Amino acid sequence: MKPFDIVIVGGGGAGLYAAMEAMKTNPGLNIAVLSKIYPNRSHTSAAQGGANASLANKAKDDTVEMHIFDTIKGSDYLADQDAVEVLCSEAPKIIRELENMGTPWSRMEDNTIAQRPFGGAGRPRCCYCADKTGHTILQTLYEQCLRKGVIFFNEYFALDLSVDGSRSRGLIAMNIKTGRIEAFPAKTVIFATGGYAKMYWNRSSNAAGNTGDGQAIAYRAGIPLKDMEFVQFHPTGLRKSGLLVTEGARGEGGYLVNALGERFMSRYAPEKMELGPRDLVSRSLETEILEGRGFDSPAGKYLHLDLRHLGADLIKSRLPQIREMCMYFEGVDPIDEPIPVRPTAHYSMGGIDTDNFGRTVMEGVYAAGECGCVSVHGANRLGGNSLLDILVFGRIAGRAAAEEAGKFNPAPISESEVLEKEQELRSFMQPSGHYERYGSLREELGQTLGLNVGIYREASKIRKGIEDLVALKERFSHVRVFDSSDVYNTNLLQVLELRNMLDLAETVAAGALVREESRGSHTRTDFPTRDDANWHKHTTYTLEEGRPKLGYKPVVMGRYELQERTY
Amino acid sequence: MSDSTIQHHEDSRDVTFRVHRFNPQVDSKPYFDDYTIRLEKGITVLRALNYIKEHVDASLTFRAFCQAGICGSCAMRINNMSKLACTTQVWDELEKSREPDIIKVEPLRNLPLIKDLVVEMDPLVDKMKSYSNWVDSKMSEENWGKKEFLVSEAEFLKYDKATDCILCASCVSECTILRANREYVSPAVLLKSYRMNVDSRDSIHEQRLAGLVKDHGVWDCTHCYRCQESCVKHIPIMDAIHGIREDAIAERGTKDTSGARHAEAFMEDIEKKGKLVEATLPIRTNGVVWTMKNLLPMAFKMVLKRRTPPPPPLVKSTKDIEKFRAEFKEMTGHVAKDHAKKPGE
Repeated sequence: MKPFDIVIVGGGGAGLYAAMEAMKTNPGLNIAVLSKIYPNRSHTSAAQGGANASLANKAKDDTVEMHIFDTIKGSDYLADQDAVEVLCSEAPKIIRELENMGTPWSRMEDNTIAQRPFGGAGRPRCCYCADKTGHTILQTLYEQCLRKGVIFFNEYFALDLSVDGSRSRGLIAMNIKTGRIEAFPAKTVIFATGGYAKMYWNRSSNAAGNTGDGQAIAYRAGIPLKDMEFVQFHPTGLRKSGLLVTEGARGEGGYLVNALGERFMSRYAPEKMELGPRDLVSRSLETEILEGRGFDSPAGKYLHLDLRHLGADLIKSRLPQIREMCMYFEGVDPIDEPIPVRPTAHYSMGGIDTDNFGRTVMEGVYAAGECGCVSVHGANRLGGNSLLDILVFGRIAGRAAAEEAGKFNPAPISESEVLEKEQELRSFMQPSGHYERYGSLREELGQTLGLNVGIYREASKIRKGIEDLVALKERFSHVRVFDSSDVYNTNLLQVLELRNMLDLAETVAAGALVREESRGSHTRTDFPTRDDANWHKHTTYTLEEGRPKLGYKPVVMGRYELQERTY
Repeated sequence: MSDSTIQHHEDSRDVTFRVHRFNPQVDSKPYFDDYTIRLEKGITVLRALNYIKEHVDASLTFRAFCQAGICGSCAMRINNMSKLACTTQVWDELEKSREPDIIKVEPLRNLPLIKDLVVEMDPLVDKMKSYSNWVDSKMSEENWGKKEFLVSEAEFLKYDKATDCILCASCVSECTILRANREYVSPAVLLKSYRMNVDSRDSIHEQRLAGLVKDHGVWDCTHCYRCQESCVKHIPIMDAIHGIREDAIAERGTKDTSGARHAEAFMEDIEKKGKLVEATLPIRTNGVVWTMKNLLPMAFKMVLKRRTPPPPPLVKSTKDIEKFRAEFKEMTGHVAKDHAKKPGE
């Protein structure tokens, strides 16, 4: 089989932009996009808010410089400043490019792309399409990939890299529809599989499949991960599903109320109340629950987001999507009842360690988007920068891979390697003696992460979490796949995804334990302040003898010196 | 405060899911399995299916991803209507169930079955490709990223609703034409085609339209509105279909497709005769040769079996028909004027 020039794993915003840009760079290349779902289903579609770019359509005095500063400050100074410069200076170009290829942006009165204010940004620079920005960007990119004739392998699950010394030979994947294990020899591989926050399971707003597949594959192949301990929590996830109730609900005047009927934010942010910064509000909800002032239910403890005083008219006109979501997913109409909420994990700042071109330490392997860590978000991502990240660095990785693809011819992937994978998968279906159910392992994984490596962290708790993870990994070796069919075996997929999450969870916990400071999303109750002298650095994780080995990398500085982060 | 005093009260009940099963490796034909589980109020059909998969039968197979109503993966037929399992409340469905406490769950129709509730989506993607469901930008790629097209809010509003489509294929599943002819373009692809055609940044409007008026295209729709009724995003799909038709007649006239000729024959009959003359309709729509080849044998059979209707009686001119003719004349006058204006604008 002739090797592909580029195999892209993942069909969200980063993967599709990479594919398109690679074809633009060199139309003669043989490029394939592998995705475990149809690309138009990717989680990019769930991003509602928008993408930041200093187009200065709304605030005429907005500049790339201001965007850079906001992003660095937002990251609690852990972002690499050269990478942030790339992100922000490419932003206006990439938003216009999307516009030129057909993305339906909302418009200003002068017919230019509309922009709105967003958290942590000094100017209104968030470009949007109503409250469906990610969805429309994803649709546009998918349409353009179809136009350009990108080859899609839809419903293929990537299993592992095939490694030849310091280089990758390509990828081994399973065709979900047939169960066949297939080799994808490739000169270059780009991982764009999204985030890993689903490891918090029903304490996560993520799609069921955001299980960090690309990160786990890279990690198993010896590629370092970076800054994994930084997971962003959103204050108001729905109690049962963890799905987001956007900040807009509080922006319109919603109250957060505990089981005693108190607007408890008066304790934590007496002036800003419900509209304090995201990490502070998340921590406040968590404290209320921990101190026993939450409501109880079979689906876990929760608090109330009360919109009733806003009145039916306002709820219907300004928050129709929120109302619909509450009715669909909680069976609650916010006009008549308060919404049950609790903080929910929703974005992973960490990922595969890459340089500013998406390159990893392994030759021929790239990563982009939430899957990678350049790093532009540091310890805390700003709203509107995640869509921007996947677009900018998806495109850069696509171009870089296209330029490299011509220079190398990989050795073929041996049949025995494919057979080995087949046997490995089959072994899940025939465990001997005692077996474990995947569902309970996954439930316990989410639970221990939420309790011990969640919003508030502390050495003794994290150690407990690590013990739990080791035990869960042991139990996982006895996990059983009950569906023995080859065709569309989702039971097997769930187990493989769980394996990926378990591998990555260990790095999240290891980083949380070692980082003895509080920075951005990472809050240690035993080390409540930022410690620049010892911890102004990235953490890295390499798999050694089955456990994560920690390393450190300096933060790339530039124009902006360290400052206290206040708003 | 003790936990019991703040316990959130929820009612619960036993619910049976009657689920379509088929594993091509084992089963010669599909069958149904009943799963009865106890559920609390407020739960969605998808969460119930997840529960069954985890606790009762791990082999039960369905697609699900975002579980928040935006990715479109979990579309399936629930109580005989295609919808998203993740946004469907069990308690709401129980009210619609034909048998008490039983919810029927089946895969989408009109797409090839893979396993249990999973169908093949490739035919839909193939149609998106053959009908160019993308903006082919007026700006050449080298110039992308330099400056914005200026687009008015009014133009944006023309395709705003259409861009809500998440390609869940509920409309594809409910389409009555696709039931008879799987080659039919399908409502989702018509909606997307419409969205591209009204976008001023697009350069292949005419080419796309030429494809849409061919066989299995926009004229095959019978206005049953089933697609619009089943749309999980409440998109007025029929407006898009009508939009393409109006566009086709405006741009291409009424002579180039059977659909448009059919519509014109209707107009002519109503205007001149006051009723539809079905006997000659096929000839006027598809021509003499086509009619002789395709319909004459059937006509002979109908004569033999005495199933031919008697010749139509003339309709006496009543006041209402007169009034209708006058209005009709005025309307067609306007349309003709509009068409005449078009090229000059």
